[in-house]
Amino acid sequence: MARVELVNLSKSFGAVKVLHDLNLTVEEGEFVALVGPSGCGKSTLLRIIAGLEEASSGEIVMDNEIVNELSPRERNIAMVFQSYALYPHMTVEENIGFNLRISGVRKAEVRTLARAAAETLGLTDLLDRKPSQLSGGQRQRVAMGRAIVRNPDAFLFDEPLSNLDAKLRSEMRDEIKRLHQKVKTTSIYVTHDQIEAMTLADRVVILKGGVIQQIGTPSELYRNPANSFVAGFIGSPAMNFVDATLETSGDQVFAALKDGTRLPVSEAYADLGPQVQLGLRPENLHLAEPNAENAIPGTVQLLEPTGAVNHLKISVAGQQLTVVDDTLTDLALDANVHLSIASDQIHIFPKEK
Amino acid sequence: MAITPHDPVGQSPHGPETASEKPRRVRGHAARRRWIKTLTPWLFISPFIIIFSVFTAFPLVFSGYLSFQEWNPVAGLSSMEFVGWDNYALALDDPWMWKSLYNTAWLAIVSGIPQHLIAIPVAYLLVTAVRSGVRQFYTATFFVPFITSTVAISLIFYTIYSGNSGILNQWLVAISKWPVFSSFLGWVEEAMPIRWLNSSDLIKPSIAFVVIWKYTGFNIVIYSAGFLTVSKDLYDAAKVDGCNAWQQFWNIALPMIRPFAFFAVTLTIIGNLQMFEEPFVLTSGNSGGVGQSGLTASYYLYLVGWEWLEMGAAAAISWVLFLFIAIVTAVHFYFNGKKGLGGDR
Repeated sequence: MARVELVNLSKSFGAVKVLHDLNLTVEEGEFVALVGPSGCGKSTLLRIIAGLEEASSGEIVMDNEIVNELSPRERNIAMVFQSYALYPHMTVEENIGFNLRISGVRKAEVRTLARAAAETLGLTDLLDRKPSQLSGGQRQRVAMGRAIVRNPDAFLFDEPLSNLDAKLRSEMRDEIKRLHQKVKTTSIYVTHDQIEAMTLADRVVILKGGVIQQIGTPSELYRNPANSFVAGFIGSPAMNFVDATLETSGDQVFAALKDGTRLPVSEAYADLGPQVQLGLRPENLHLAEPNAENAIPGTVQLLEPTGAVNHLKISVAGQQLTVVDDTLTDLALDANVHLSIASDQIHIFPKEK
Repeated sequence: MAITPHDPVGQSPHGPETASEKPRRVRGHAARRRWIKTLTPWLFISPFIIIFSVFTAFPLVFSGYLSFQEWNPVAGLSSMEFVGWDNYALALDDPWMWKSLYNTAWLAIVSGIPQHLIAIPVAYLLVTAVRSGVRQFYTATFFVPFITSTVAISLIFYTIYSGNSGILNQWLVAISKWPVFSSFLGWVEEAMPIRWLNSSDLIKPSIAFVVIWKYTGFNIVIYSAGFLTVSKDLYDAAKVDGCNAWQQFWNIALPMIRPFAFFAVTLTIIGNLQMFEEPFVLTSGNSGGVGQSGLTASYYLYLVGWEWLEMGAAAAISWVLFLFIAIVTAVHFYFNGKKGLGGDR
């Protein structure tokens, strides 16, 4: 197991800079997820950590050793690829044992270790099959087996679940989590799926355009997003953003919506300038009586039942808000309703230019 | 609609009465149109059927028939005379027949194996080590010999190999005088002129070299296509698994192109066993050169048919050659077919 540190890491492809001075420390045994929209550089970053790509500047440190110059093999890391990258001409057992065979481990021992890894992942019955004879989930497992068999210092996962269907994806997610709890190997997990990141990781790193936006535990990111990008990226359905103007009267700060509704907000936000964006999480908005505290008037545009809750699209001050309604209230289209939200659940961000 | 127990599922209240009153009329096409419909597909595939029948099926059957006849084509069809298995007996009795089969096998192996031993690493380097524009330029260049007329190539090599004025001998003499080379090429001066195409030991290697030169580029194209199908992820996975460059080639790339290798080797076997033009031109069409060292099976078959006008015997030889090729190919399929055609990918 190893502690992985990235120090001022940058990467350019020709004139295009894809990673900008990244600093990140992954503690020994920690599970860190790198999340971001496609093209944010997260896979490139993982490939640099793996040693498949060279950093343009900066250092990769594993257990206090700078490993920039080392090959993937010398770094002793294992990687699970999005495409699984199983060797089609080898059986499951040969796939799992390949890296041991290449490192010169004796045949009998390769066999024992490969079988043990297969046992852990429930692949024992499939050892003689070729990858083409396996289902997506089974291939995924073989790819994991290939990673755990060598007892690496760190696991790198590159969107390992994105080729699976939704049900299998959540099953495999649980399995990865269980595996990590069992082997406690330092893991870095790249995904574009925030749910995957939130459910699996001890800490989540949000990347956008090659720049780290925020690093934190899932609940920190959810409760205290550093900027509107993080706020919009974390949480499902996504956070609503509403234009507003900050007004101060006495020692109270209010956010005024375009329709004149005034919501009291924390004084801490006062310096963000008059033009701001309010961030309102759909699950924090509730249907309310017109005279309730912080009531915001709106009209119903759409009602999407999901069974347990209804997703409402409510037009407020010319903007559409998503509301998660767990009371399952039966609403007509175009009905006038009021929404309320607790003051401490209102996030405020500077207005994007 | 709510369904009550008295209202059986799927039966509309109006259904039964209206449907059964009038007898049903069958709508269809007139007989003429049906005919057209049946004939149209045949019409479309008829060009193939006609060409296949005239140029493949008929000659095949006719040569089978011919192999049991004695026939001089110059004397017309009426001169055919049934001789039973005599043609086969005659052919198998002829030492030239066996010599030509030996030469064919020798040339197939000596000119076949190097094509692949050269093409595989060259294709691998072109695919993995250079930019795609450079790769395409080189691949195209290597391919040029394949699309050039064999007769033209053979004629050019004929002059290169020429004993007195050929470039090859002149170069050898020149190189043998260089400081380092002189120590082991000292014999060259004495041996001159080396008769590449006029001595029985050198004819076959000389022919083999021309064949290798001509067909390696074709195999490079096939192997390049094969290496291009290997996903980059597999190489990445191999690197993470600890493979160095050679191990990536040996453990990943090479096994992955097995189907391509199988295909290329099959083509080489079939093509080399029918080798005719190169030996024919390089031996000046002179019965396979000195001691028939350059006489291949196809060449022999040509001599029997068109020089000696023994069409029946030539047909018999062609069937023997067919059997020979079929057996070699079958052996190849038996040993390599499972992995070569296997559906791993």
